Amino acid sequence: MKRDRVLIVGCSRFGASIATNLSLKGENVVVLDEQNNSFRKLDDSFSGYEMVGNGLDLDVLKESGIEQSKMLISSTDDDNINIFIAEVAAIIFLVPDIYVRLNDPSKAIVLEHLNVKIIYPFELSMNEFERMRSEGV
Amino acid sequence: MKIVIASGKNEADFLIKLFRDGRHKLIVINESREYSNYLSLNNDIPVFFGDSTKRYVLEEADVKQADVLIALSDRDSDNLVICQTAKKVFNVKKTVCIVANPKNVDIFKQLGINSVISSTYLVAQTIMRESTIENLINFLSLENDEIIITEIEIEKEYNIVHKMLKDIPLPKGVNVSCIIRTPHAIIPNGSTIIEPNDRLVIVSIEKNQEPLLRIIQEKKKNAKR
Repeated sequence: MKRDRVLIVGCSRFGASIATNLSLKGENVVVLDEQNNSFRKLDDSFSGYEMVGNGLDLDVLKESGIEQSKMLISSTDDDNINIFIAEVAAIIFLVPDIYVRLNDPSKAIVLEHLNVKIIYPFELSMNEFERMRSEGV
Repeated sequence: MKIVIASGKNEADFLIKLFRDGRHKLIVINESREYSNYLSLNNDIPVFFGDSTKRYVLEEADVKQADVLIALSDRDSDNLVICQTAKKVFNVKKTVCIVANPKNVDIFKQLGINSVISSTYLVAQTIMRESTIENLINFLSLENDEIIITEIEIEKEYNIVHKMLKDIPLPKGVNVSCIIRTPHAIIPNGSTIIEPNDRLVIVSIEKNQEPLLRIIQEKKKNAKR
């Protein structure tokens, strides 16, 4: 099965921006969210697919094309859900490129040794603060 | 044993009562302040108030090296994180959790949780058992249907009545473990003769259950109509 899609689970503002961004770059994007009105966050220029469903259900993930995905981003607002989806993507569906946003850095340890890249908004904010402070902005 | 009960409502209360015999060290964590108070008052034990999915909460509750941690949240993803953190960070020996979605039983086991229990799955099995038309047959499945234990009552018209076990052409991979001939329970051998009203307890692999039942329930050729 050819892997040519990008699957984004959780149409949070973060997920929605990535979706629009990648879609504009020509990627084949599928966004999965439990609620229909979450898709309102997507820009009008988004040209991918929107699916309503629960990312915790493997059958829903399969229907969203996880087996044909080269990349998965788990961007729901719940760290625990993001971790679950990332693990399933890595261990069961062997998605090559997985990104996860974690609000609580101390939870990262359960993803250790897995092929998952973690983004810490907390860390990024701290770094940005330090940068601004040292530049005297 | 050092036992941790994380999250949950009715199950937590029930389990605390079960484990409270003084021999075990019980650690109870709950993320609802109201329920923590209730559990504490109702069971006269200290209860940690906090979100068990957070590392510092498990740390403060001192779960390290526990023998068992039982995660009872109604959110499967929370239970996953609680159990994995307990194992990886705190060296808890065995993790057990309930899952709301029966599909997660296999997945969670693959992700390293020792024991995964789905109430839906168990309820469905019980209902299936209770509603089998033939009340003569009960069965129990283990290891997610790999192994079936069947209990079947032998009617007097069955072909196998008065035959020795060794003369009955049972399928391969089937073991007649016990014959209940009230008030006795017999562990049979090849020469044991099957009598009417015997209840046979048979262990088999799943795919042999149907042929097994067919052979056992086959009626004698001259059985009256």
